[in-house]
Order: sequence, then structure tokens, then C-alpha cells
Amino acid sequence: MRIPPILFGSIVLVLFLGTIFGFQAAGIWSISGKITGDGQAVLPSAGDVNTIKGWMTLEQISIAYNVPLDDILMQFSLPGDTPASTAIKDLESDAFSVTNLRTWLESRMQSPQPEVTVPPSPQVTLLTSKATETAVVTSIETTATPLPTQHIASEKTISGKTTFQELLDWGVELETIQQVIGADLPAPATVIKDYVTQKGLQFSTVKTALQAEVDQLK
Amino acid sequence: MITQSIPAKPSLVKPRLRGWKSFLTHQTFRRVVQLAFALFILVITIQHVQVGEGSNNVTASPEAYCPFGGLETLYKYVTSGGSFVSHTHLSNVVLLIAVLVTALLTRSAFCGWICPLGFIQDLFSNFSAFLRKRFPSLRRAFKTLKTRGARLAFLDRYLRLVKYAVLAWAIIGAAAYGVMVFRDYDPWSALINIAEFSFTPGLVVLGVMLVASLFVERPWCRYACPLGATSSLLGKFSPVYLKRQSEACKVCKVCTTACPMGLPVHTATTITSADCIGCLECVGACPRVGALEVKIGIPLIGQK
Repeated sequence: MRIPPILFGSIVLVLFLGTIFGFQAAGIWSISGKITGDGQAVLPSAGDVNTIKGWMTLEQISIAYNVPLDDILMQFSLPGDTPASTAIKDLESDAFSVTNLRTWLESRMQSPQPEVTVPPSPQVTLLTSKATETAVVTSIETTATPLPTQHIASEKTISGKTTFQELLDWGVELETIQQVIGADLPAPATVIKDYVTQKGLQFSTVKTALQAEVDQLK
Repeated sequence: MITQSIPAKPSLVKPRLRGWKSFLTHQTFRRVVQLAFALFILVITIQHVQVGEGSNNVTASPEAYCPFGGLETLYKYVTSGGSFVSHTHLSNVVLLIAVLVTALLTRSAFCGWICPLGFIQDLFSNFSAFLRKRFPSLRRAFKTLKTRGARLAFLDRYLRLVKYAVLAWAIIGAAAYGVMVFRDYDPWSALINIAEFSFTPGLVVLGVMLVASLFVERPWCRYACPLGATSSLLGKFSPVYLKRQSEACKVCKVCTTACPMGLPVHTATTITSADCIGCLECVGACPRVGALEVKIGIPLIGQK
């Protein structure tokens, strides 16, 4: 059977757009990670650091993970006057990335935390009044101090989430690390695997060399 | 030796369209459709750049409208029960399904009729053709280049396989590492993120692709596009094909010259090549009535 060319083009359009509109009509459509398919806002989940996305703000992280904003800024050597409404991805540098933040928060979750006093339902306040957001976040009273990432320290085994800070905490000499990676030490909070991959090196090779240094210290 | 030219039967030669009627063709329709999709992406991109993506703003990134993103995130989406690799969303998966449905029924017509990156390559090629038409010296230079490059023509059939390797790399890499390994090398990603002013390998690929488009039509589609590779694989099961009626055809090669994918249309009986993008430029260019037609048959066996 012969198809006129214009009809062929129309069929192509109907098939393509029809499929899309069909899914949209069924509610299977989302163009942003900020909202779910049914239009609900996506927020970080306190139990899963993988729900942290680059567009999320410092204050959202601060609230969801019950971490004082100052602690986050201090841990990653960020300026003290960084607005709480800043998106994480806008702060990315050698010392700070979404991956680094996830690793750090995960290590905090796994470590016993000092008791933190949180004002009642700060989330409600934060989501309704932007003017009070910063005040609420900074007013979280806490006795917690920034903790180094110690969760793996007892095992002293390098994994894909280990940071250079952890190596230093385990007692590995700065010069030794620099010798293995063949460069100056980046920001200590940097995840080793991220750094090595970025430099085009084999993580397994670097990991083996560093692990040997760690094992010598045992 | 006496040569005798056989005049074409008047009924077999397409009537020459004049005036506004010459615009009412499927070629014009195709260009309008391509332009509409390209403008849509342009508007989305400008909106995304202008409005930004602060915590309270929800604007679609143009990357949310890339079907290939759907293919890269598909493994994670299925195995993790609904999560995506970075820069992809549910819309990418839906668009991928739309492209696959289109490919299954109309071959790689998505590439020929909808894909904005294909349209941009078409624009550059048409600009090159315009320059050659306008400047005879340039035309001669191109002709010399083409003659000298003819000895490399054998490479063409092997280079066309590169896109399948790119496809495998992009999918396996995304599945293994959970990130879009192809993104940094993707000219489309580089183009829609050009406002970020970041120098990526994709930007280099984009530049090479656009310059190459001045000399070869659709170089990205021919040799490297992983989405085109996906479409072409699935298109093998499509019921639609092009038929060349040898009794009506005078083997003038106009169809082959018009094909942006460089397919030898004039020598085939049925055009079921995986590289055919269904643009129907060959059908439009053919001067004979019924010599080249779009047909429907039983997939794989009924296309004769």
C-alpha cells in the first residue's frame, strides 16, 4: 500500500506527540527533579543521603539532617556569610560537592551524635516564610561540634567514599599521600575516588597503594 | 554507434509546481515541523537560563526533553525502582518511548522530521550549498575536494558502525557508573548548556560536527549519533519502506544526490537501510511519477 509523503509526515507527528500526550494524560510525566509526577515538592529525606540533589539549598539540608548550618560551612571551609538559601551546586568547588556532602552526612548519621535541641516543627516555618528561614536555621541550638568523618576509622579500609581527611585521621603522612597521588593534596574533605577519577587515574591502583600505607600503620 | 534518447512519457514526469503551490510539499511540511521543535527547545533553554533554578523555581531544563537521556537512565530507572541518573527525569523516559514507538512504525523518521540536532546540521549543509551556488570559485574548490576525497569513500561504510559503538559505550557506561558518561562528549548537551560557558569535549565535538556539516550532510547522524543507532536497530521491524519502481525510474541519480544520509537510492529496489532517516528528500527530488514511493508491507518479509 502506498502512503503519500505528507500523510507519512503526519503519521510520524501523531505517533510521537500522541505517545507523549498519552503518558502526560496518564500522569506519567515530570520535567524536574523538584516535583514528583503528582506535583508534590521533592525534599531531602533524612534517612537517605542519595536524595540530596544539587538544586537543594543549605537550609533544606540543615533541617532534613538536623545539622547546624554553621557546621556545614565550617566542615567544607565555606564562607561564614553564605546565605542559607544557596543551592548546593552553586557552592561546588574542589573542597565541596554534592558527593562530599553526602559522604559527610552519611558518616555523621552513622556516628553517635550529641543531643541536639531543635525548635518545634521548624520545617513548617521554613516552607511558609522565607524571611524567617535563615533565622530559624541559625537559631538551632546545638552542643554538637563538627565531627571528622570517623565512621570507617575503626576499620581503616579505603572505600569509594573515603576522604583524604580520613586518611590523615588514620595517621597517614601528608607527604605519603601526595607521593601516591602524584600531586599536592586537594581539600581534605574531597572523596579520594572522585579526585582520582577526575584526574584520569585508576582508583583501584591508588587505593591499593594507599591501603598499603594504612596497613603499615596498624 | 547510434545513441537514441527515449523521451519520457508525459504522464510519467511530475508536473512542475509553480507559485504558492510549490511550497505545499512534504519538504516544506518537514521543515516547518523541524523548525517548530527547534524553536520549542530554544524557548525552553532561554526560559531556563533567564528564570534560573533557585529553590522555589521549577523550570524545565532542555535536558529534560532529550530522548537519549531516557536511554541512559533506563537501567537505573528499572533496577532502582524509579530513580534516575543526574540530569534526567521521567520526561526523558517518556520521550524515549515516543521515539521507540515512532521508530518501530516509521523507521528513523524521528531523525528526519523532528530531531533539532539533525535540523541544525541541515541548516549548515544548506548554507554551504547556498555559498557554493553563489560563488563559483567555492563550488570548484568543493568539487576538487570531493574528487580527491573520493578515494576515502570506502571508509564511509566502516565509520557508519561507530554510532553503534557509541551507543554501547553510553548505555553500558551509564549502567556501570550510574552517571551519564556520554554527556560530556554529547554535542547536543554542549549546545543546550552553552550559556554555562563551560569548555567540554562536547563543545569540541559540536564544533567539529558543524564544520563537517559544511562538507558532508548530517555527519553526526551518519557516524556517531547513538539515538539514531537505536532508532535504526528498531526500524528494522518497521512496516514502512521506500520502493523504487525500476520500470518508472530513469536512474538519473537525483534521489541519491538528494539523500542527506548518502544512501545509493538509485541502485536499490527497496530502501530498507538502517541509515534511512525517512526525510523523503529522495521522493521529493525524483522527477518521475511513481518511481519512488513510501509503502507499507509486512516487516522483514513483505517489503519487496
